[in-house]
Amino acid sequence: MSVAVAIPQSSPGQVHSRLANREPAWVRWTLISLALVFLTGFLVLPLAVVFSQAFSKGWSVYASALVESNALAAIRLTLLVAAISVPLNLVFGLSAAWAIAKFDFSGKSLLITLIDLPFSVSPVVSGLIYVLMFGLQGWFGGWLADHDIKIIFAVPGIVMATIFVTFPFVARELIPLMQAQGTDEEEAAIVLGASGWQTFWRVTLPNIKWGLLYGVILSNARAMGEFGAVSVVSGHIRGLTNTIPLHVEILYNEYNSAAAFAVASLLALLALVTLALKSFLEWRLHASITPSK
Amino acid sequence: MSIQIRYITKSFGNFQALKGINFDIAPGELVALLGPSGCGKTTLLRIIAGLEWPDSGQIIFHGVDATSRHVREREVGFVFQHYALFRHMTVFENIAFGLRVRPKATRPTEHEIKEKVLRLLKLVQLEWLSDRYPPQLSGGQRQRIALARALAVEPKVLLLDEPFGALDAKVRKDLRRWLRNLHDELHVTSVFVTHDQEEALEVADRIVVMNAGQVEQIGAPDEVYEHPATPFVYQFLGDVNLFHGRVDDGWAKIGEADIRLPEQEVDQSDSALFFVRPHEIEVNRSNGNGVKGIGAFVRDIRRYGAVVRLELERTDGDGFVEAVLSREEFKANTVRKGDEVILQPKRIKVFPQAAEPAPIDYVI
Repeated sequence: MSVAVAIPQSSPGQVHSRLANREPAWVRWTLISLALVFLTGFLVLPLAVVFSQAFSKGWSVYASALVESNALAAIRLTLLVAAISVPLNLVFGLSAAWAIAKFDFSGKSLLITLIDLPFSVSPVVSGLIYVLMFGLQGWFGGWLADHDIKIIFAVPGIVMATIFVTFPFVARELIPLMQAQGTDEEEAAIVLGASGWQTFWRVTLPNIKWGLLYGVILSNARAMGEFGAVSVVSGHIRGLTNTIPLHVEILYNEYNSAAAFAVASLLALLALVTLALKSFLEWRLHASITPSK
Repeated sequence: MSIQIRYITKSFGNFQALKGINFDIAPGELVALLGPSGCGKTTLLRIIAGLEWPDSGQIIFHGVDATSRHVREREVGFVFQHYALFRHMTVFENIAFGLRVRPKATRPTEHEIKEKVLRLLKLVQLEWLSDRYPPQLSGGQRQRIALARALAVEPKVLLLDEPFGALDAKVRKDLRRWLRNLHDELHVTSVFVTHDQEEALEVADRIVVMNAGQVEQIGAPDEVYEHPATPFVYQFLGDVNLFHGRVDDGWAKIGEADIRLPEQEVDQSDSALFFVRPHEIEVNRSNGNGVKGIGAFVRDIRRYGAVVRLELERTDGDGFVEAVLSREEFKANTVRKGDEVILQPKRIKVFPQAAEPAPIDYVI
């Protein structure tokens, strides 16, 4: 009662197709150098400039620009905004992706379009939406003023604008992944007696964890770096409603470029860390998409 | 456990997938749901499992209505067509899953789980794979792990959706026999879905032939194969030649040929369908000795294992006929490509035809 096991063998045809795809050397080198020149000119050089400008007046100026009270307040606010908006978007993105990938319902494509909306709307407009709704002249402005609730030119407005802008990242990352994985494994778990909760924690979440983390990383980078939408609702009150990007702008407008670049280097650093994490996650994600068929 | 399926209907939008399915499955039986793709067999299986709800009708497990019972409480094992193994768990954890998710009160101890998983791995003869992950397994191995996982919760009913569909021919044959032996050992009531008639004939105790959301015939493999109840079953189970003609006084009139119908219930019919299996056709050289039959030219001869297949074109231009001879028969009658021959059906099945037959969209 033995069962023969087929061992897949690479076919010789693959070798030929690889050769056929190969371009002449000069084409390859032209393309590669073009890409390299572009990358250096538009990405690497600016990044280097940020750090060199930041340290242009020495380490002590750099450090003092970061520990200055307004800078610290901006850092604190940025972290707070990210700490609120990222988890909220994680929960929202996960539930939206779950609903879209695993169930059929009417209005599904409308929901997908709505999730993409923040990508297609200019951030300034997204900020203005909130001003129009919660600002003093806005729809709820009077009511909010009566109850002494401040949203615009205060932290809640900044959080709202940030949530709006970072809305799509988690959901967009998860929807294709969950669709590709299908519902077979969840069904198998339920037939085996698992509850909905157990199925989520033991089957669904482990299968999407790398994609989820990827979405969270991107969402976080955008939440910390967002300028346009936040700028409209913040009011630029130093030490109160300035996030890191807004603080950089103020310093720069005051011709305090060393300090501006010092604070900006934090964001650049965040970008580099995000990039490294992203590459790592992409590598893990690839492994989790490979179907078990 | 016995299963009674009572007047199950199910629609998806405008498409009626099941149109009143009604049959019983005896305890310990191995039943095949056989039919072309889209006939509703998988939907029926999923309804039995509780993964899908019927629009009307009942599923009765051991005399108790289980229609509204949640899949979790039905105590069924389900083996998915593409196995649906948990890709981030080892083989061991996959099999242990059903035991680990039990509520604390009924959950076995770690030691018991380990013992049980190892016993199941032994049963499916894959002990050495317990630390591997599903993507590292071959198709046949995954199938057997999926089966072990389903058996771990000691289901009262085992349901298999196209269990061998995604495997290559050799592995499929081995697994088929293996499943049959396993069933003889465990005696758990089992239902499997297949579109492969050979698989159904070889493995099942009983076959339920389905077409377009309806049951065409239910019976033991022999019965279904030897005495198909409808033209569909005849065409679907095995290769078959189809002739159009009429019946006159116990004689089949096919084109120019008259063929005596032995012990047929049909004496007279203006329009009839005749079915003849390729291996039930006698091929004789037409040497003018007055043998009556269907005239044909030999167009192609293919040796294929123990048999020889002849492709024949009717002399009256009314299509092609396939005949299968044993090598001995073939040697004895010395036909060659291009010869004109006379075809004599040894067994013929007549279905008198009221009007046009329902088009059969399945091509063998």
